[in-house]
Amino acid sequence: MVDPNIRFLVVDDFSTMRRIVRNLLKELGFSNVDEAEDGVVALQKLRAGSFDFVVADWNMPNMDGLTMLQTIRADANLKHLPVLMVTAEAKKENIIAAAQAGANGYVVKPFTAAVLDEKLGKVFAKMASA
Amino acid sequence: MSQTAERDNPDLEALFDSVVEARQSSAAAAPAVAAAVATLVPPAMTLAVGREASGVESTHDGHSELIQRIGHLTRSLHDSLRELGYDKKIEQAAAAIPDTRDRLAYVANLTGDAADKVLTLTERTLPLQEAIGAEARTLSRQWQALFDKRLSVEDFRELVGQTRDYLEAVPRQTAEAHRNLRDIMLAQDFHDLTGQVIRKITEMAQRVETELVGLLVESVSPATRAEYAAPSGLINGPVINAEGRSDVVANQAQVDDLLASLGF
Repeated sequence: MVDPNIRFLVVDDFSTMRRIVRNLLKELGFSNVDEAEDGVVALQKLRAGSFDFVVADWNMPNMDGLTMLQTIRADANLKHLPVLMVTAEAKKENIIAAAQAGANGYVVKPFTAAVLDEKLGKVFAKMASA
Repeated sequence: MSQTAERDNPDLEALFDSVVEARQSSAAAAPAVAAAVATLVPPAMTLAVGREASGVESTHDGHSELIQRIGHLTRSLHDSLRELGYDKKIEQAAAAIPDTRDRLAYVANLTGDAADKVLTLTERTLPLQEAIGAEARTLSRQWQALFDKRLSVEDFRELVGQTRDYLEAVPRQTAEAHRNLRDIMLAQDFHDLTGQVIRKITEMAQRVETELVGLLVESVSPATRAEYAAPSGLINGPVINAEGRSDVVANQAQVDDLLASLGF
């Protein structure tokens, strides 16, 4: 059973999408959610506070999601963090690049509540078995 | 959350998993992405005018010289267009138009679908809410009759049964309303998706504008050119910040003015 108090950081430059993801997470029982509008702000928040899970967009100003993911994986304090990419980038190259950079999952927008639920479940299952 | 993951593409899923496994088993996973990217680069536009013109043979000496000079002129125009990068730029600009058309159609579809979805879900939810309220009002009236001692034992029994049915039905109805509201919320994702597309279209329009104005300036007399051409060269890409600069256009009105001053 996943702890419902785990802390999420939702990273997306569109406030609409951040609200959607936040609401979906709430519906899945996770209400401990913070937001960031790009990779730079996200890294600041991740380094300042204790987060347990990152849901990130790809295409963002200042620092994109892939660069942020690579930075997280290169940071000794953050590299353990699960990162779920939720993005409109649907090219195979993108998916390969994200996987190679160490993403824990990849959801293509537009997505359904069921897909987000399933992908989160998969990441939790892998974390539990690891 | 019992819905199946209908939008999830199993191929992409499999691809993702295979790459993750490859990454975990060996650090050296080499994707064949470069080849796919290479095929996307358009071939250089070929303007063979100069070659054709200079290849023409004339039996007449005077004409021969004239044709040769025209040939050289054409060649030098062609070469300077190429040196300036305009052949490719123009080709790219032209190629961007159908792409933009597709993108705009995508925006129209997405916003249309979202509006349709929200209206449908709202139409489905309103009667649910009305039914819950109406039934509660009816039951409340009967309970008031009971308190006013206007209800027979038989009527009371019926009221208890109806009330129990109602209490069982309400959570089902609110759950359905909840699902509909969630889907209405999810339908707002069009804002993100169309926003990204519109941003790309805006960039493209700016690029085309810059290239076309640049080409126009290049094709007029040297004096006019000196007046308008940017001193740093002509291939600068989109203007990021036009503030305080006199050598770039900042809006469509300035482009229109420039075109008008050039007689277009």
